Amino acid sequence: MIELHNVSKKYEQFTAIDHVTISIQSGEIFGLIGPSGAGKSTLLRLINLLEIPDSGTVNVDGQILTQLSQTALYKARKSIGMIFQHFNLLANKTVYDNINISLKLANYPKEQRRERVEECLRFVALENMRDSYPRQLSGGQKQRVAIARALANKPRILLCDEPTSSLDPTTTAEILAVLQSINNTLGVTIVIVSHEMNVIKSICERVCVLADGQVYETVGIVPKGVKSINRHPQTFVDELQRGEQSDA
Amino acid sequence: MPENLLLYQTEIIKAILETFMMVGASVLAAIIVGLPVGTLLYSTQKGRLAENRYIYIVVSLIVNSIRSFPFLLLVVFLIPFTRLLLGTAIGTTAAMVPLAIIAIAHYSRLVEQSLLDVPRGVIEAAKSMGASVSDIIVKFLFVEARSGLVLGLTTSTISFISYSTIMGVVGGGGIGDFAIRYGYQQFKTDLMMYMIIIMIILVQSIQIIGTTIAQKIDKR
Repeated sequence: MIELHNVSKKYEQFTAIDHVTISIQSGEIFGLIGPSGAGKSTLLRLINLLEIPDSGTVNVDGQILTQLSQTALYKARKSIGMIFQHFNLLANKTVYDNINISLKLANYPKEQRRERVEECLRFVALENMRDSYPRQLSGGQKQRVAIARALANKPRILLCDEPTSSLDPTTTAEILAVLQSINNTLGVTIVIVSHEMNVIKSICERVCVLADGQVYETVGIVPKGVKSINRHPQTFVDELQRGEQSDA
Repeated sequence: MPENLLLYQTEIIKAILETFMMVGASVLAAIIVGLPVGTLLYSTQKGRLAENRYIYIVVSLIVNSIRSFPFLLLVVFLIPFTRLLLGTAIGTTAAMVPLAIIAIAHYSRLVEQSLLDVPRGVIEAAKSMGASVSDIIVKFLFVEARSGLVLGLTTSTISFISYSTIMGVVGGGGIGDFAIRYGYQQFKTDLMMYMIIIMIILVQSIQIIGTTIAQKIDKR
């Protein structure tokens, strides 16, 4: 359970988050949506204290993060995974080492690391890419490596900052399906920030609409499910022609 | 083989060795002290890992001041310090002191620059994984910046060779000193040319090695 109580965050004159209180249940997929500048990403970063609130408290699974010492905070972050719009992988490390690094940081028992990395790679279906470098991967594959890295340490929470915003629709569906299955099979709580309504609608159970750093409304919805997208080139042709007709 | 080269063979070999010693000491100082100082300059900057305005201003001022000196003046200015440190300010070993100091100042700026090139996103990911400041520096920043760090060291090393050529003023010897004393002052222009050729070969080799290593370790 994640509880933000009355949190605020200011950057010089600009108030990014203004007295926000939200609570996210364990095991749910929670969406944060709103126009750019609404404070979605800042709010997400307040959950693992990548941004430190000026006031208010952050409570994750009973632990009040805002009261922790620096070392205790490092430790707490290890059980909160995070993925990003631009993946943020280490370009100079292989896929395997990118995942392994989070295990190393968490002091995961050395003899079990290899097995755990392989397990995570299987989960995101990238076993055959273990020795590749990020440069050699497509955007979707990079995001799956990032997901594997975030999962390696068996977190109970996964924070997703615009995870599909630099991906095409087909790859977006693929990533959403992975997130969905993480939630289903591993019971990981997922908080997802996106400006894409389709993304939010397809997997979220509750959505918080933000505006000007405040909660506008929180709505419960029935997720539409991830639609697999037809890759056939004819679909592009059809769509282009359809556009032409409606323009005419 | 031209006779002058044969005639001065021992002196030339000695000069080359002296240059190697002086440049070697500079490179060591650059790595051992310059790298941490550069990392400090990077991390204490506004909005970085360990923001600290005062440390940044002080360290930056010292580095800039050292680099403001015309190198010849720095060598002379440091004579009392070198004497205090080693008991003498004359000779190849003594020459290493001013060289090491300029090496630290020179390389630390290049380190700072390379680290600034690492995308902030990578650091954010590191933090999200619970990495401490030292984890971030060693396991993320240095890994991502490594080819820039190598190229910077290559550029620095070539500058150190150039700096080492004036160490004749404090009896440091080296190729540059030999070229001046024999080639210029004794009008043996051919010897001076040979020394210049040796320098060119040296600089070329270092650049080629540096570039090759940097490319090899760059997987971006």
